Amino acid sequence: MKTRLISWLAGVAIALSAAAAQAEPLKAGFIYPSPTADVGWAKQLDLGREAIEKEFGDKVETVVVEAVPEGPDAARIMNQMVTDGAKFVMLGSFGYMNDGLRLARQQPDVAFIHASGFKQTDNFGTFTARNYEGFYLGGLAAGMVTKSNVIGMVAAFAIPEVVAEVNAITLAVRKVNPDADIKIIWLNSWFDPPKAQEAARALISQGADVLFSLHQDTPSVVNIAEAEGVHVVNTSSDMSSYGPNSVLASVTNDWTDYFIESFRAKLDGNFKGSDFRGGLASGAVKVTAWSDDLTEAQIAEIKQAETDIASGKTHVFAGPLKDQDGNVRAEAGTNLPDEAIFGMNWLVEGLSGSLPQ
Amino acid sequence: MQTITFVLAGTLLAATPLLIAAMGELVAEKSGVLNLSIEGMMALGAVTGFIVVMETGSYWSAIAAGGLVAMLLSALFGAVVLVALGNQVASGLAVGILGVGLAALIGKSYESKTVPPMPKLPIPFLSDIPVIGPGLFNHVVLVYLAPLMAVGLWWLFRYSKLGLVIRAVGESPQSAHAIGYDVVKVRFLAVLTGGFMAGVAGAFISVASTTLWSDGMIAGRGWIVVALVVFGTWRVGRVAIGAYLFGVASIAELLVQSTGIGVPSQLLTSIPYIATIVAIALLSMDGRRIRLNAPVSLGQVYREAQ
Repeated sequence: MKTRLISWLAGVAIALSAAAAQAEPLKAGFIYPSPTADVGWAKQLDLGREAIEKEFGDKVETVVVEAVPEGPDAARIMNQMVTDGAKFVMLGSFGYMNDGLRLARQQPDVAFIHASGFKQTDNFGTFTARNYEGFYLGGLAAGMVTKSNVIGMVAAFAIPEVVAEVNAITLAVRKVNPDADIKIIWLNSWFDPPKAQEAARALISQGADVLFSLHQDTPSVVNIAEAEGVHVVNTSSDMSSYGPNSVLASVTNDWTDYFIESFRAKLDGNFKGSDFRGGLASGAVKVTAWSDDLTEAQIAEIKQAETDIASGKTHVFAGPLKDQDGNVRAEAGTNLPDEAIFGMNWLVEGLSGSLPQ
Repeated sequence: MQTITFVLAGTLLAATPLLIAAMGELVAEKSGVLNLSIEGMMALGAVTGFIVVMETGSYWSAIAAGGLVAMLLSALFGAVVLVALGNQVASGLAVGILGVGLAALIGKSYESKTVPPMPKLPIPFLSDIPVIGPGLFNHVVLVYLAPLMAVGLWWLFRYSKLGLVIRAVGESPQSAHAIGYDVVKVRFLAVLTGGFMAGVAGAFISVASTTLWSDGMIAGRGWIVVALVVFGTWRVGRVAIGAYLFGVASIAELLVQSTGIGVPSQLLTSIPYIATIVAIALLSMDGRRIRLNAPVSLGQVYREAQ
């Protein structure tokens, strides 16, 4: 009995080592907070996964678990992935942070990349999009096309990332159209498409003819804009197919380069957890689906701004910059530092309304 | 779109699904069954309705299918609590979670897709009244039917024999059984009615008001429905008032925010809930009458006397 067990174990060991000799693919796990639809946050992450597969072919094997709620479920799934042999794990939601960090400490040979977090270790890196750069361009376009001079924003929660977008849009609109009135509705909910639509209608009833859909994963606001004949700038994916007449531009995230580079580093054995903040320059933020309603001159002006921001010639939050209460946040000649941008909890001068704290 | 028109139209759109589902839940609770799975049934109705519109283009089939599929789920709930004598609260929660999950599974390949909205039926002449007309009288048929249905239900419970039977079963199942009514059958039918209406409400959201499908889009409305029935103290009129009040408050909140006054938005976000609770609590201050209205056997397991 005992010898049979030993010989069986030996057989397994030989089989395993033989398999290992054939350059086993590196297993990569991907966890998304929402289902991968045609559009949205999870879709953009999944495009990054597909890019890894395409780039590395049979050197990689990917596994995906989608619609994973933050909390115990997420912890269980990422543990399982690592137990099943994943050596590279992408965590697609801020709320996976603590469970991910714990696992990263226990498994130093597994590389993690985590969306929009702020804690890094040697094997745990974070990635964030400078979406505010994209929305600045969207704000320029909005200021140019508005006829009613009222711009409306439907925003999820007042976290720094979204506040930075609101401020960038405001600065851009004011730059091309100093008289424009800007209205914001905070939904105080990450996901409620019917409410997002009611908010969009409320803004339209207040005269808004350009809407911003900030962190609404579904085409809810785009739908209303199309039905009511106003323009809209949306987040995440190109939604022009949902609003062929209404989408002014889509601010999208492209993670392919970052994912490929991170995975290559893991493959080559030199992965080091870093804090990646990608904007227009790195291509992590791309503004697409520019509407035909913009004239060639307007497009040229926007493209110039894009080039200048990407090259670092101009900065979205360049001083002099004052907040709502008139406090100077950046002196003339200086730019707002990254810590201030990624921790933004104030509205720029000229915005009415208060920030939910 | 003028402000007043928007408020009126927005209120009706937001309140109609709540009213339809709450009427269904009221029927179930009047018969003595507390059904906490409304959220799941609405989600299932929403996804079914959406798929039917997407595949066939027929809105009425979508509404009916949404109702029927949710009714199937409520049959499961009915079987668990009425036949297997399961605890109503626990079973309701479990079936509700099942419904939400099932909806996500069925709707996987339809996630974030959109359909054109259900055609509206403007009421002749009335819809031409300036401001109010387009706000109140230019909607899909269900928006007009919902209050009529509430009136019908009020009549049913007040004047009809069927209403009396349902109430008797909810008040004292033993007595109802003793005089020859089949308690389980009446309750089962009441649960099925509630399920059907929750499904219709869900389908209304996905094909008439929001016109897209996404996992989680019901976003807690099923719970508001349950709360409306309780805060409305099981009276049709008060539940209906609660639904419209919640609708108008949730629209007003957004409108106030869009005017940019300096009130913290979290406070505004909570106003629909606070306003509805306060108003209905004021309406129902008389504790004695609440006890009079509450179905006595609500939530209790009924064992047929041998």
